[in-house]
Amino acid sequence: MNPHDDDPIDALLRAQFDGPVPDDGFSKRVMQALPPRRRRVDWPVRAGIAAAVLTCWASLQSAPVLHEGWSAWASGRLTASAMALLLAIAGMSLLALWWSVAEGGEA
Amino acid sequence: MADGDAEARIDRALVARARVGDDPRAFEQLLRRHQGMVRAQLRRLLRGDIAAADDLAQETFLLAWRKLDQFRGEARFSTWLYRIAYACFLQARRKRSWADDDDGDEAAEHVPAAMPAVDLQMDVERAMQRLSAAEQTVLLHCVQLGLSHDETSYVLAMPLGTVKSHATRGKAKLNAMLAAWHPRAGEEKTP
Repeated sequence: MNPHDDDPIDALLRAQFDGPVPDDGFSKRVMQALPPRRRRVDWPVRAGIAAAVLTCWASLQSAPVLHEGWSAWASGRLTASAMALLLAIAGMSLLALWWSVAEGGEA
Repeated sequence: MADGDAEARIDRALVARARVGDDPRAFEQLLRRHQGMVRAQLRRLLRGDIAAADDLAQETFLLAWRKLDQFRGEARFSTWLYRIAYACFLQARRKRSWADDDDGDEAAEHVPAAMPAVDLQMDVERAMQRLSAAEQTVLLHCVQLGLSHDETSYVLAMPLGTVKSHATRGKAKLNAMLAAWHPRAGEEKTP
């Protein structure tokens, strides 16, 4: 609130204000004029995600670091490539978590 | 303040229902909760033109329905609505030609010290009309609609400092003009 709550001018202005207008069928009229909401089209997002995953997979398939990292991880060895793979997965998980929390908070 | 927070939470829940669940009944509740103050705001801005104010109020709610996805909850829902309503008002004013008496600055300087005290309400109304359009608009939002300076700045898309200076100047002028009704206040507030 403003620091003028006890100001006589504020009191006069508030007294002079008529306050909220009674509904008198206004809401009904607006509801009748309401157009159907356009549903959010989400196929471009889904297509984009699919394309990004496919591109990533195609470009990393030939990268030796991925194979080395995966086989090292599977055999329980903590090599540099396995660490890189783990860090990449952890980073992406954190990003996904942050995004979910942000979206959840807004809803 | 706690009431305001609870009201804001209810609004946010209704917005989420209207948006995610695509539920027109949730929007109807929002409409019923806020139509009174939005219409009052527009009636004031349009100087009592009830029909035009209601047309703009309807336009405001239709826009709010369409733009509901853009409400991110940074401001209260009511404040967001006031902002849309004010934008609709400005747009309509550009199209049509409502009287925009912006000559209050000079007029206010030369108001007779003691006005004929017919009726306090009428004198306050007259004194308000002698303020500049910006001062009237700021006082409407800050005092009569009960918004904070920050919220007024958001609704009017006006810098916070400008809002504060319009509010202070407007009140000082009103104090001088209405000194006959409360002489002590008039003396205290003289800058």
